[in-house]
Amino acid sequence: MLTVPFLRNILLAGGLVAVGLSPWSVYVVLRRIVFSGAAVAEVASAAVALAVLFQLAPFPIALLLTVASFLALSRLADSEVLPPETMVGMLYAGGAAASVLLIAKAPRGEADILNILFGNILTVPSSLLWTMAAVFGALSLLQYLAAKEFLISAYDPDMGRTLGLRVGLWNMIFYGSLGVAVAVAIRTVGALLTFTMLVAPGAAALCLTGRLSRAFKAALAFGVLCALAGVVLSYQFDLPTGPTIVALLVAVFALSFAFGRAAQAV
Amino acid sequence: MPAELLKTEGLSVGYGRHEVLRGIDLTIARGDFLGVMGPNGAGKTTLLKTLLGLLEPLAGRISAAPAAGRRVLFGYVPQRESLDLHYPLSALEVALMGRYGRLGPLRRPGAADVRVAREALARTHMERFADRPYRKLSGGQKQRVLISRALAAEPEILLLDEPTNGMDVNSERAIMELLTELQTEKGTTVVFVTHLMHTIERYARRVALITFDGRLLIGEKAAMLEPAVLTGAYQANNKNL
Repeated sequence: MLTVPFLRNILLAGGLVAVGLSPWSVYVVLRRIVFSGAAVAEVASAAVALAVLFQLAPFPIALLLTVASFLALSRLADSEVLPPETMVGMLYAGGAAASVLLIAKAPRGEADILNILFGNILTVPSSLLWTMAAVFGALSLLQYLAAKEFLISAYDPDMGRTLGLRVGLWNMIFYGSLGVAVAVAIRTVGALLTFTMLVAPGAAALCLTGRLSRAFKAALAFGVLCALAGVVLSYQFDLPTGPTIVALLVAVFALSFAFGRAAQAV
Repeated sequence: MPAELLKTEGLSVGYGRHEVLRGIDLTIARGDFLGVMGPNGAGKTTLLKTLLGLLEPLAGRISAAPAAGRRVLFGYVPQRESLDLHYPLSALEVALMGRYGRLGPLRRPGAADVRVAREALARTHMERFADRPYRKLSGGQKQRVLISRALAAEPEILLLDEPTNGMDVNSERAIMELLTELQTEKGTTVVFVTHLMHTIERYARRVALITFDGRLLIGEKAAMLEPAVLTGAYQANNKNL
């Protein structure tokens, strides 16, 4: 299989997306921002459609709007007027509607736009693989080095402030980095797999372990294994690759949840 | 006379434009053991958060360690119910957070920090629970871990928000005796907020009493717990009963 060049690229793309997103999923679950990921993915899709309509480069527009959406959600979460999920819901609906409306007026063919909009792991060029490796590598390093800042900013921001940490700044860095990771992943694998990779590995890991450090490792392992297995299975059984990976991730989560519940009951 | 550690002059505290307390002149000396009490919603936590720098004063000023001319190192113990139990953290990992302020940005805790965190757990008699999941500890044990976390910061002053809230009598006594021990044996300055009169009566040395009309009365315990003083402070609440 690995001798087929396009298949090698698919395996690399799947693996890189898993390495780039699955450790974030632990934070996404613990920070209770699961649906922020879905809403921002819709905004990224709308940004791509907007760029296509006005014949601009899709990636910078998607990157800009994705990061801006995450930062806006992180600020609006402090609103005392409305619960945070209201903002998330509005952003999701707005992003989804804008995508459809913009596609309807776009000059390119629908299939072509859908390919750009939802990503296609089967057609990932080698140049994009290098971009993904560089961006996800840098973000993984940041995540490792800023582990204490990301943890205390979410777990106990008041304590962080009394210790002299710049909690607001670190929250902005967190959401900004997450936005970059989402923008890069959506371009490669589309909104559905990006969203699932941002939730399922972390959720599955947290069902099985009582230690945060192990949860990050388990999430990474689940993400990479599902991505690689999904590519292989979709090739063997002639299935669409993205949904196969999504189905595996959901199955791993369901098994982990059941196993975690059973272990608790013992 | 012990050195001043924290001093407020004409301090007003509140949220947004809503003033909760005003005209507060409070001095906390090194080695103090001060209990802050008052009716529910009177502004005890707001005052504590303002002293910690978590809320901006609406008016007046707070000077920290005026003699030393530098920033005071706080050890903050929040209400334990405010922490999210979904986080899979051990007692040691929670205590280790106290070291974060001593590390620079992007620096990870090292072996020396782990040692200090373990020592802090030992001071609250929680060393044998170091590897136990924090969320599986009892209320009293969680409180001890949070005190350990504050101690791991090697603070000059411990500020605790309702440290015995929701505890049974034995757990409450154990926590308050631990704080007394830290104060008497290590000279740690302790300021705690509580709505429980009997906790103040039994353990505080000095009392800051927030009145129903937003003033702060400060004095020795015996004077502050005089029936006439208490009746005046809680007047509005009693009328509402």
